[in-house]
Amino acid sequence: MVTPGVNGRAPRGLRWIAVGQALLWGAIGLGAFLLLAKSVQNSSEFGRLQLWILLVDMCAVIALSALIARKLWRLVQDYRAHVPGSRLTARTVGIFGALVVAPLLIVYLSSLEFINRGIDSWFKVEVKQGLVDALGLSRAALDLRMREYSARTVALAETLAGTAPENVQAKLDAERRASQAQEIALFGAHGRIMALSLENPLENLPSQAPPDLRRQVEQHLPYVTLEPQAGGRYLIRTAAPLGNGPDPRFVVALYMVPKQLAALSEAVQNSYSQYGELAAMREPLKDSFRLTLTLVLLLAMLAAIYGAIYSAQRLVRPVQDLIEGTRAVGKGDFATRLPLPSRDEMGFLVHSFNDMTKRLRRARAEATHSQQAVERERERLAIILARLSTGVLAIDRNLTVRNANEAAGAILGTDLSGASGHPLPELAAGNERLGQFVAALAVRFAAGREEWREQLDLDSATGRRTLMCACTPLPGEDADIGFVIVFDDITALLQAQRDAAWGEVARRLAHEIKNPLTPIQLSAERLRRRLLAGMNEHDADILERGTRTIVQQVETMQQMVNAFSEYARAPEMHITRFSLNQLVAEVADLYRSQAPRTRIRLELDEHLEGIEADRGRVRQILNNLVTNALEALEGVSSPQLDISTKLEASADVAYAALTVCDNGPGFQRELLARVFDPYVTSKPKGTGLGLAIVKKIIEEHGGRIDADNRPEGGARVRIVIPVKDSTRSATAGAREREQLRRQQA
Amino acid sequence: MLRADSTRDGLTRGGLLAAVCAVLLAAWSLGVADALDGILEVRSAYVNIDKGVFLLHARVEYPVSPAIRTALQDGITLIVDLEARVDRDRHFWFNANIVDLTLRRELSYHAVSDRYVVRDTHSGDLQTFSTLDEALAFIGKVDAWPILVEPQLNGGNYTISVRAGLRRGHLPASLRAILFWTDDWVRESEWYTWSLPV
Repeated sequence: MVTPGVNGRAPRGLRWIAVGQALLWGAIGLGAFLLLAKSVQNSSEFGRLQLWILLVDMCAVIALSALIARKLWRLVQDYRAHVPGSRLTARTVGIFGALVVAPLLIVYLSSLEFINRGIDSWFKVEVKQGLVDALGLSRAALDLRMREYSARTVALAETLAGTAPENVQAKLDAERRASQAQEIALFGAHGRIMALSLENPLENLPSQAPPDLRRQVEQHLPYVTLEPQAGGRYLIRTAAPLGNGPDPRFVVALYMVPKQLAALSEAVQNSYSQYGELAAMREPLKDSFRLTLTLVLLLAMLAAIYGAIYSAQRLVRPVQDLIEGTRAVGKGDFATRLPLPSRDEMGFLVHSFNDMTKRLRRARAEATHSQQAVERERERLAIILARLSTGVLAIDRNLTVRNANEAAGAILGTDLSGASGHPLPELAAGNERLGQFVAALAVRFAAGREEWREQLDLDSATGRRTLMCACTPLPGEDADIGFVIVFDDITALLQAQRDAAWGEVARRLAHEIKNPLTPIQLSAERLRRRLLAGMNEHDADILERGTRTIVQQVETMQQMVNAFSEYARAPEMHITRFSLNQLVAEVADLYRSQAPRTRIRLELDEHLEGIEADRGRVRQILNNLVTNALEALEGVSSPQLDISTKLEASADVAYAALTVCDNGPGFQRELLARVFDPYVTSKPKGTGLGLAIVKKIIEEHGGRIDADNRPEGGARVRIVIPVKDSTRSATAGAREREQLRRQQA
Repeated sequence: MLRADSTRDGLTRGGLLAAVCAVLLAAWSLGVADALDGILEVRSAYVNIDKGVFLLHARVEYPVSPAIRTALQDGITLIVDLEARVDRDRHFWFNANIVDLTLRRELSYHAVSDRYVVRDTHSGDLQTFSTLDEALAFIGKVDAWPILVEPQLNGGNYTISVRAGLRRGHLPASLRAILFWTDDWVRESEWYTWSLPV
């Protein structure tokens, strides 16, 4: 599997966005460059383009800020989420940013100070004072002219006051020519022009007297003013009333200031105005420079930060790929292949990583193949172990189960299917047989015996079991050493050996003892018959008692021999189908009459319709069991005998189960393991062959018999035989074992 | 134990920041808005028709303040505009503009002659006055300004609007962008609007 983040290409949309961003930045950069190139050609162009430069800068700053904010936000998110490489990226961005921002800030602050001082130096007090002085000088020069012209006008007014009206025009013309005035006019009441002398009467019109002039002359005061004209010219307007009396007339004269003086004054005026305007622009000018500088520096700083982020991400990308690849390898994904970033050291590292994952992938494939082979072998071994009738138990030194097959659990009387990892002593709680087994193991391990082969006898309420155990240590480290214990339940084998031995004994008894008994009996009877008549009463009595004792003992021995003969012989079986329930009921009725004290209860399964077996031998089984039970119940206050039948099924084979229980003293514990052996009995009378014969008949029918004591007291014998004779071959292991036993015997 | 809600803290901090910014903005605007203080309004205006020409007559009051006087005497030029618009009313769309004229005069102080100079930027004519009040009175009195001729009217209702403006002139182009946001030497009156008698 290939990790998408490692080898995946960017989606088409993201690539178009990246291309769009590149084009946008290219356009902004080109536009800014063109504007800058145009603006450096002259300052007026700069003034016109500055707004556009600022707008472009602002757009760039906003766009860059947005991009940086987005990248920083993602970086913070990645940092919080512990995304691989995010810390390295953040550290690199921080270092790069600090390296870029610090000098830029220093340059920025220095430039600000330079701008402030530079602009302030333009408006020094000396410059201002110089302009004011120049202005004063101009005014002084012009005032001189104004006073001169005003004096001439006052003199003219005094002259005109005594001049006859018909001579006024001539006086005005003479004065205009003498004083080089532009215009001289005599005004009368209501501002009416009474006489006028113009320098150029065809081109010029007489000018109106301004209101302030009229107000002043009405107060009999001379008037003089300097009026700037278009084109940098200056006009001196003078006026004077004609006398101090009620005469409303006044004369107005206009003089042009000489060109040189006017030009100088106009230059001073222009300088003064420009300086004033510039002085007013001082703070806005500073703001303009500060704004421009701030924007440019902000743009440079943001571009540097963005470049730092971009470079850091490009630098860290192979490292991120390596981290992701390492994690993927750590999770077992050996198919990870990283893209080669370049042919530098990082590329060599990535190439080595890819080579390593390739080798790991190959090694894992081989390991997987080997593991599969091992698993197959393990499965085969598990099948073999499961099918073994021999118990196999793998444990460690602390008796903790590593593995156990089904047969082990069956032999030890517990379920060991989920016992792996559990200590055996814990599993043995409540299981007497397993407890004895564990104790036997513990004793041997405590003695330092690691390899042994012994026979273990395990006693429990269900009888004695004899196991043949072999313990072998498994190869492994000291702390991990284990043992395999192989054991087989040889109880049945030992029983078969005993059965074979007892059969041989019975056969020999029947053969060796039965033959002499008849001659002994006949000889004793003939002795009695011959000698009894010739003896006195005392001797006759002795003979009589002796021969009677001999005959009785011979008969007893005869019975015993017959019983052994019965046990030893293997009669032909007559298989018929009959109702077991009906047979049980018949036998129970028979014994109810013989033992009226005993309460005989029947619990018969109505589903058990009939079985295929030798009816006579089954009746013998019932007789033996009931007789044994009734004998065991002698002396019991409330004797009770329960007989039950039940139809059972196992592995598609139907079985008839017959259980006989009593509330007597039960089997003696020490005899429980050998209760089916011949000549094993707790009764003072009897041959001890009853249960042995029952067991023999059951095994001939392919069934099995168990005997144990009930928890509430009393003995319980349980018989299971196949219902159908055809299925008996499959379950005739006992019969075959019997034949084997006989052959061995 | 109660724990502070970080979101609420963030909102509180944001609100506090916004409040501080608002206070600073208000203080800044209060500090810079007094350069052209005073009344600036079109007192009256009307038009009369003389031989098919609509002549505008207006009386405008311009502010006179020590700041203006000082600024003029320091060499600053003031631009005095009178805008006139004639719009044809339309029912379902914006009004159509028929005329949009500006009468622009420059007011400056001539330091050499100690007079206030009013220059018509269109004709170049100069008028000088010994006082600022006279100069502003002259500027505020507009008579017979031709703004419209009858052929421009094509039926319907027309609205004429007049507005006076005052600002600092002779600005370098490079500073206009700055002063657009920060200059307190720009003022405009409300529109004086009435229906044109057709």
